[in-house]
Amino acid sequence: MADILTLVFRTFMSQEATAADPPPPTAGGGGALLVGDHSIGRSVLLLAAVTAASELGVRVVFFSQTPIQSVPVSLQKCVPSLNPESLKKIKFSYPGTAEELLQQVASLHESVCPPPPSLIVVDRLESYLCAPGHPPGERSRAAHLSALLCDTAAFCTQALQQQSSSSAPCRVLASFQSDCGPATDPVLDVVDRYFQVRCSLTQDGGYEAAAAGLQQLWHVCLSARGVTDAKDCEDRLGVGQQWQLLVFPGGLLEFKLV
Amino acid sequence: MSSFLPAVAQQLFRDIQKTYEETSQIPDDLLIALKFIFGPCVLQALDLVDQHSVTCLSSPSGRKAFQVMGGSGHLYTCFESCHYCPCPAFAYTVLRRNEGLLCKHILAIYLCQAMGVTQQESVSDQQMSVLLSGTAIPDT
Repeated sequence: MADILTLVFRTFMSQEATAADPPPPTAGGGGALLVGDHSIGRSVLLLAAVTAASELGVRVVFFSQTPIQSVPVSLQKCVPSLNPESLKKIKFSYPGTAEELLQQVASLHESVCPPPPSLIVVDRLESYLCAPGHPPGERSRAAHLSALLCDTAAFCTQALQQQSSSSAPCRVLASFQSDCGPATDPVLDVVDRYFQVRCSLTQDGGYEAAAAGLQQLWHVCLSARGVTDAKDCEDRLGVGQQWQLLVFPGGLLEFKLV
Repeated sequence: MSSFLPAVAQQLFRDIQKTYEETSQIPDDLLIALKFIFGPCVLQALDLVDQHSVTCLSSPSGRKAFQVMGGSGHLYTCFESCHYCPCPAFAYTVLRRNEGLLCKHILAIYLCQAMGVTQQESVSDQQMSVLLSGTAIPDT
């Protein structure tokens, strides 16, 4: 999954950047979890969805509790080639509760036509999973939903590869904002088990952003999680890389490899 | 699902499969290795295997899941590709205490798959969705 994120980052790098041509998406499956502020997380999720639909031409399912009324202006500025045909490849769905989300993800296998999605996005997992006081059963619910996402992606991968042996695997991309800190959040600890890569988004608290005339500056770090081959992750998925996300006045987004 | 296991456990199940195909038994050395890796739930998992408690469900879409009949008579639905079980032991020992890789139900699935003794059953796509979600789908 980090390969889609890395593709997003490289696609929206500044033209002055000296990085090499973006690598083609590789066959790395699994999931990536964006951990950080939900507003910037949502922007990155939308960018990933639009990039997957327009650049890779794949179907995307985007789950969120909050309806998306229109394409954000910042996204339109970032992707001037955005067109209705690309947007048609993205199905937006707004389950209100964890039960509804479970039902909708569990039902994805039922549709034979159109083909299964290649990217499953969940905005703000914590809004479905976390309740004040961490009631009993919260961890189990987090494991159920995360495992269902993981298993559904594995099924979609198999279905896609039956249709075309050269199909890339289905990927899961979700965002999570922790209220009690990523290091001590019990729900995040459970969710982490099922995601191969964590993408941490941390806002820069110094003066660098203001000095550069930016609205915001974010540090983006990809790290490997779970039972996985860390070296393989580094080689194929860009794990271990650090990026900066620059948000300009007016909402334009740009990524810079550190 | 095996990608959620450490390499030593994956190799152990491959060894069990090979030996069981040849001898229809799991020899003592492999049983000891199972106990060493997975702890006390091994005996309970082997009991579940003996009772033919593991069923692989499949639906017309090609989606699969496992159902395990627990000792209490409760049916637990587990996934094909990753570790999750709705039983109290998984919630407590694995998720909360982080003291085990899996519960006896998931271990029984691995053993049945290695030994080729998993029951097979077909369900409709809608039934599969209900089982996977663990919720009832409202009538539309």
